[in-house]
Amino acid sequence: MPRLTFALFRLAGLALLFSITSCSPENRTNDYLYCRLNSNPSTLDPALITDVQASVVAAKLFNGLVGLDAGLNVVPDIAERWEISPDGLTYRFRLKRGFLFANGREVTAHDFKYSFERLLATATKSPNNWIFENVEGARAFREGRADEVGGLKALGPYDFEIRIARPFSPFLKMLTMTPAYVVPREAVIAGGPDFASHPMGTGPYILEEWAPNREVVLKRNERYSNPAAHLKGIVFRILPEDLTAFTEFELGNLDIFQIPASAYSKLRNDLRRKQYIEVLPGLNTYYLGLNTSRPPLDNPALRRAIAFAIDRKKILEKFYEGRGRLADGPVPDALRSWHLDKDRGPVEFNPVLARQIVADNGFSGVRLKLYVAADQEAVDIAEIIQGYLADAGLTITIRQLEWSSYKQAINNGEPDMFWLNWWADYPDAENFLFPLFHSANIGPAGNRTRYANKEVDRLIELGQHATDPALRNRAYCEAEEKIIADVPWVFFWHKTDYVVRQPWVEGLKVYEIYNMDKGLDVSLRRRNY
Amino acid sequence: MSACGGATIRIYILKRILVLVPLLISVTFVSFCLLKTLPGDPVYSMVGERATPEAIESIRKEIGSDRDFMSQYAGYLGLLAGGNFGRSYYSNRDVLDDIAAKLPNTMKLALAAMAIAIPCGLAAGMIMAYRRGSFIERIAGMFTIGGVSLPVFWVGLMAMLVFSLELRLLPPSGTGGFKFIALPALTLAVPAISTLARVAAASIEESMGLQFIRTARAKGLSPLKIAIFHVTKNALIPVVTIIGLEFGSYLSGAVVTETIFGWDGIGRFAMQGIIMRDYPVIMGCIITCTAVFVVMNMLTDIIYHYIDPRIRIHDGKG
Repeated sequence: MPRLTFALFRLAGLALLFSITSCSPENRTNDYLYCRLNSNPSTLDPALITDVQASVVAAKLFNGLVGLDAGLNVVPDIAERWEISPDGLTYRFRLKRGFLFANGREVTAHDFKYSFERLLATATKSPNNWIFENVEGARAFREGRADEVGGLKALGPYDFEIRIARPFSPFLKMLTMTPAYVVPREAVIAGGPDFASHPMGTGPYILEEWAPNREVVLKRNERYSNPAAHLKGIVFRILPEDLTAFTEFELGNLDIFQIPASAYSKLRNDLRRKQYIEVLPGLNTYYLGLNTSRPPLDNPALRRAIAFAIDRKKILEKFYEGRGRLADGPVPDALRSWHLDKDRGPVEFNPVLARQIVADNGFSGVRLKLYVAADQEAVDIAEIIQGYLADAGLTITIRQLEWSSYKQAINNGEPDMFWLNWWADYPDAENFLFPLFHSANIGPAGNRTRYANKEVDRLIELGQHATDPALRNRAYCEAEEKIIADVPWVFFWHKTDYVVRQPWVEGLKVYEIYNMDKGLDVSLRRRNY
Repeated sequence: MSACGGATIRIYILKRILVLVPLLISVTFVSFCLLKTLPGDPVYSMVGERATPEAIESIRKEIGSDRDFMSQYAGYLGLLAGGNFGRSYYSNRDVLDDIAAKLPNTMKLALAAMAIAIPCGLAAGMIMAYRRGSFIERIAGMFTIGGVSLPVFWVGLMAMLVFSLELRLLPPSGTGGFKFIALPALTLAVPAISTLARVAAASIEESMGLQFIRTARAKGLSPLKIAIFHVTKNALIPVVTIIGLEFGSYLSGAVVTETIFGWDGIGRFAMQGIIMRDYPVIMGCIITCTAVFVVMNMLTDIIYHYIDPRIRIHDGKG
């Protein structure tokens, strides 16, 4: 018996030793950067991507005509230079020579024509075809009245032209989006539906392995020199649980970690980590949407009362731990090139005025439904809002739904109020005005408060089609001020994100838009454990 | 076992497998009905935040959700008859391939959890039964009450904090060999150990009061022999039932445990499918899990037959 016990102890000791050595951070592939994805990317076919996780990965695998620099300016990517005609209708791009797909073939203008037509083709069923809806001939092509898109022309191997039907100021910025990346025709045809999981592009990295729900592994594309990546590869580990990801980061198994709310205080107050935290003022707006299409919230007085009744500043500071900047309107500060007339809207907390408006207009005791997605933070915020509105004399019922039911409900205009946010796809104020407040986009296209104001529609369109930046800014400014005055949203905040890196990670830059990081800045210093 | 017994078991297995076909069809029908009646439309998750009505319609047509229920269901049965589960709405990957890749991981985890749970549970049950009233019985009793009461996610997170973050002994997540499987297996094993221990203890105590045990004692058999060959063997039936049920449920995917520990199994896959409303993934997981559960129950029945000769598997003739 003692011999058996001794043997068991030895066995346990060996197992322990094995586990200690095997779970150290050294148990990783050298010179690969380890990052976290919150969920599995839905697809890696740029034409079909709608989620942030997939865009983050695709940015490393593909390129477009143009990209964005750290100042959110449009800069060359595969296009070496471009010209826009004075009437704002023709965009002519000169492509770089020798820009290669991962299979070694050179990218030509024909590839862009193919990729953009593929995005528009009904057979692709891309949810992103709106990006090119302004291109001349796009509609005829989609409706099967034309074999090709007349407005997309390969003028030569390195010259590509896009003609749009009307001047459209954000168009160049829209070309920086994930769905506008170039794909090689032969790989798309050979891959068929599997192209989505075995993509091939031009980017600084190549997909090495994608184990769904486990990890996405990218390796450096040795043919890429625009410039070449420092890293040998990137491993995106799919970790939905914040605590699991935090533990992995603490153990050194993740190199970069976007700090979730649950770990924010701990990491911000950790003297060891504090110096390695990067602050990212995101291009987003968090808001309480008010359904303007039916009583009682079709009455602007009640909407104003709701805005006055909620102390957004206190919620931001106390509950949200100051992780954001108060929003004056829908457009984030970084995209606003004008000064708002702040007196136009109910921006300050004024509970007395809120109660008075509610009482004077006979809204006391009015019952309103507030919908939130199944997310604890959203539910907490909804409960705080419920408390403030109860003080103003309104009765709020909170309804929590899982994401797709929630989307369906808000798209159909079911709730009176809902909690949501909007993140920039491209760095232009138009991205925060047209989809969200133009009456053409009521429902799933973005305008979920069902806000309709003909003057706002006109001003947004004026800004979209203006070729003069001053005129555009004036139109957008006026549109934003009218929106603020009409209160279809209670504008809460622009969320700030925090990213913490390990001491051995060098050159990390954080970007405002999810597809800006191509994995070219970061390098890893040799570590001593 | 006699040759006749072997033939009977073969017929029994064949019958259970034949029953599986209508059972699976019924399960697909009920699941399909439930999925379609639930609120929420996967198309809205697929189209992103800025979808045109045209794009929505085109995707509806693509995934067939514009057709009536029966035609959708018939289409799905057609797919199954062709030997596949279809493709994921989002990733466009073959669901059967993904399940085939994930099921072995889930089986590994279930086996590891049972490898911990069975000896520990039986040992604890025997201690509780044979040492009733002792200090060690009280400790074991407290552990088993805790084990069945504590939620799995809490046990998992605590195990991660202690063994990964504080002691740095085991990795907090990942799929792989011993070091990766230890924590999720332990987490899964805790409630199983507790249930097994309590059932085993009750069953052993019941057996100890039976007449044949008194006879064995009167014959002068040693307490150890009585305990092992008479009491424990007799007490095994409910224990095997619990083992079968627990093992079956683990094989059907330990959703919470797999999610917490990033274990790339069928539970996590199903969870992702449910969150995204990826119907082909959800249906594929339901069918696989049902088949696994039925097979596990069948194996349990066969084991009954070997443990207790009074339980006979009959071929249904008369």
